[in-house]
Amino acid sequence: MAGVKTSRFIQALGPIPVVGLFVAPLAVSLLFILPSLVDVTGFVSLFEHPQFWGSLRLTLFTGVISTVLAFILAMVVVVQGTSFDRADNVYMASQAGPMLALPHLAFAIGLGMLIAPTGLLSRLIASFFTGWIEPPQWQTVQDANGIGLIAALVLKETPFIVWAMSGVLSREDVKRAFAGQRSVALSLGHGERSIWLKVLLPQILPRIIWPLVAVFSYGMTVVDMALVIGPAQPPSLANLIWTDLNDGEVLANARGAAGVLVLTGIIAVLLGGAAMLVKSFQPLLHRNYAAPPQNQTAMGLSLPLWTIVKLLYFGVVLILALQSISGHWPFPRLMADQYTFKSWVRLLHDGWPLLTSLILALSTSAAALLACVFWLETKPEKFDRLMLAACALALCLPPLLIALGQYRLFLQLGLTGTASGMFLSHVLPVTAYVFIMLQGPYRGFDPRWRSVSDGVVASSWRFYFRIKLPLLKAPLLGAAAVGFAVSVAQFVSAQLAAAGRFSTLPMEAVTLASGSNRPLFAASALALMVLPLMAFLLASHFSKSRWKPG
Amino acid sequence: MFSRRSFLKTTLAASSLALTSRLAFAADWAFVENAAVGQTVYFNAWAGADNINAYIAWAGAEAEKRYGVKVEHVKITDTAEVVKRVRDEVAAGKTDGSVDLVWINGENFRAMKQEKLLFGPFAEALPNFALVDVEGKPTTRQDFSETVDGLESPWGMAQFTFFADGAKVAKPPRSMMELAAFSKANPGRVTYPAPPDFYGTTFLKQALFEQTPDRSTLYQAAEPGTAGMLTTDLFSGFLDELHRSLWRDGKQFPKTQAEVTQMVADGELLIGLTFNPNEPANLVAAGTLPASTIAWQHAAGTIGNTHFVAIPVNAKAQAGAQVFANFLLSPEAQAKKNDLKTWGDPTVLAVSKLSSEDAKMFMADAVPGSVSLPGPAVLEPHASWVGALEKAWLERYGRG
Repeated sequence: MAGVKTSRFIQALGPIPVVGLFVAPLAVSLLFILPSLVDVTGFVSLFEHPQFWGSLRLTLFTGVISTVLAFILAMVVVVQGTSFDRADNVYMASQAGPMLALPHLAFAIGLGMLIAPTGLLSRLIASFFTGWIEPPQWQTVQDANGIGLIAALVLKETPFIVWAMSGVLSREDVKRAFAGQRSVALSLGHGERSIWLKVLLPQILPRIIWPLVAVFSYGMTVVDMALVIGPAQPPSLANLIWTDLNDGEVLANARGAAGVLVLTGIIAVLLGGAAMLVKSFQPLLHRNYAAPPQNQTAMGLSLPLWTIVKLLYFGVVLILALQSISGHWPFPRLMADQYTFKSWVRLLHDGWPLLTSLILALSTSAAALLACVFWLETKPEKFDRLMLAACALALCLPPLLIALGQYRLFLQLGLTGTASGMFLSHVLPVTAYVFIMLQGPYRGFDPRWRSVSDGVVASSWRFYFRIKLPLLKAPLLGAAAVGFAVSVAQFVSAQLAAAGRFSTLPMEAVTLASGSNRPLFAASALALMVLPLMAFLLASHFSKSRWKPG
Repeated sequence: MFSRRSFLKTTLAASSLALTSRLAFAADWAFVENAAVGQTVYFNAWAGADNINAYIAWAGAEAEKRYGVKVEHVKITDTAEVVKRVRDEVAAGKTDGSVDLVWINGENFRAMKQEKLLFGPFAEALPNFALVDVEGKPTTRQDFSETVDGLESPWGMAQFTFFADGAKVAKPPRSMMELAAFSKANPGRVTYPAPPDFYGTTFLKQALFEQTPDRSTLYQAAEPGTAGMLTTDLFSGFLDELHRSLWRDGKQFPKTQAEVTQMVADGELLIGLTFNPNEPANLVAAGTLPASTIAWQHAAGTIGNTHFVAIPVNAKAQAGAQVFANFLLSPEAQAKKNDLKTWGDPTVLAVSKLSSEDAKMFMADAVPGSVSLPGPAVLEPHASWVGALEKAWLERYGRG
């Protein structure tokens, strides 16, 4: 049911904003990929590339392991933190929020500064235990197996999965159903662990499948993060592709495009395989459900994992802050020789990247929010499936694929290096996220509010602005904050669309990664963190203030 | 459909550009300076070092003050990106290209020259070109065995140079063989950036020079047969052994020279490398490296070259780009660039051609970190060796 009583004309306009900002650019971008499908030279060159198989192996390893580990870690955290008598999981979700807001790239930069051979960790060990005077020959970042990259991915994705799981668990209907099932299972002799594994998780899993797919797809295709913390010989497949796409040789460009298609295909095959695996395993779990397990062990893991994760996030922010104001800081000193705000002054003095990121984030999240609300107000719920499918496509396809098609489209339209090109390249993923965040709460809005207000003869617009919007304030602000964060974190599509004319914070950070100014690098990573964090804090602050009917 | 349309657009664009470039070239300098006023020059330049970025910012501010030309530094990590972008834009018929000036040399210049992606000739018509030391510094007209033909304007000189903390490295290795011995004695403390990083490739070229008795083949285009033989000899005869003692056992390599420099500053590595002989002194002055830093070149010589600025054929601000390129060649801008406190990049000018007042700006005393053991400059091999070496290296060492 459409919320505001609107004319047929306006209702017919409903899809135009989302189609113009999101669906059409996405579809046309994907069309522009098609010529590469039949470009045989690119594929031949790809399979002959000496690093292809090594890169593929590395990417499979880091992508699969990081997703599995993040899932397990999140599961343990949720199991440890959930009590059916209290509202703990909601508490957990609110803690996950700020962690989600930290862009992957900034997190990887900070984690690298913690665990690198000259990082804080080795300085602590050197100062208190071993007395090293030269940095240890640790292989913690840019290591051949991508362990550093896996660590960064796992730590960054765990809060996201925890947040998704808590979202499911905090729904009233789920909570009631689970509490009931739990008491039945307890009476059958199941322990807590067995209840989680055999009863609750198999029900949660299907509900968080899309977040998991997004996590996996991200881990397999991330470019910026792997550039700063991943290995180089060979690099991850996504980085190999990225180098080729930016190469000065035509053949390398074709090889990069072929690589994007191959990577997309591999992800699709793996996801299909995983889906089949899950399907064949689920009955197995249910079959065992009737018979309680023989040896009951207590909840095994008592390690405060969630606390450890939170501490690591704190450590990352701390080291970035310290490094950004440090002057000369030789190993193994725990403190820099002097502290200076030089890097911050420089960052703000040449403030364009910060400002560009801020303007893009504000404009794209606002535009996406308006477009999505317009759709939700004018189109009946049954059409949402189409939008959700487009969103899933946008979030699960490798960003490299969309960005490449978009770059080709922009070239034809003369949009590379223009402000509109930058806006469009950012608003696409932002709209996808905003719609996904908003759709549930918006459609779940209780229609009885409308009837009540009809009863007091409130006008349609009055109802909308005085009652509906205030009631939906929290999800609206939340979706805007997510959109804002997504915009700030864009790298691949932004870099291609910018044609050097624009620089955003992640682009600046990646450029600085190849330089040797660590304080400035840290400051730019911190700036990259601060923007989305502010958005989240503002959103949650304003969500809390009570709605007063008026 | 797209291909035909873009073909048409490209042809049209190319012919109109050819016309404008001829006109611009024929016109006198005052005309160029007039046309440049109010233009914004998007200068695409590698931005991996602070001091260089700061210098470009200074030069841009001066150009705006003096000539009304606004300069925007487009910070890039690899010039190959610019080659690709210009090619894509020209192919899509974009005449108001995103690049007005690019910092370039070697294989990127060769690619752009061969594909006719460059505006010009313009360089030798710049008023300040008369001051360039074309006799003493032949690489100002010969870029990696490719004739420049006025398609790029010289900006600075470079020579491959090594540096270390003299307190830790008492006797610096003056050849690749000595470097290998040093690395063996200090396992895990020496490395070089992975090719195709510019510095990594130069390291390979330097090793190739020192391991190849007859250098004349290196000045001809790399034929697959000869190149294959020479690189195989280099790898099995020298690099395989060297890699065993390198940082991370020669299995991983830093991605950039700046990373190597950072690791030297941290003490994680003992020897750093650079293309700018004055960089170590500059880093000492900046406080990044200790005052005990020493710099040297190999006794039998190290690779030297010139770096340039070029204007793409579809540049929007072609006049502004020429005015800025001319300013970069001025004694004042070259002296400031030469100054260790700013950048320390050696000049392309012949100091003897300057007025005594201008020449004074180029005098400098030895400071901590300046090259104490110099070697002669060796000309770059033919540009095609870059690709051949990078490919062979990737085949052998890039698999992990």
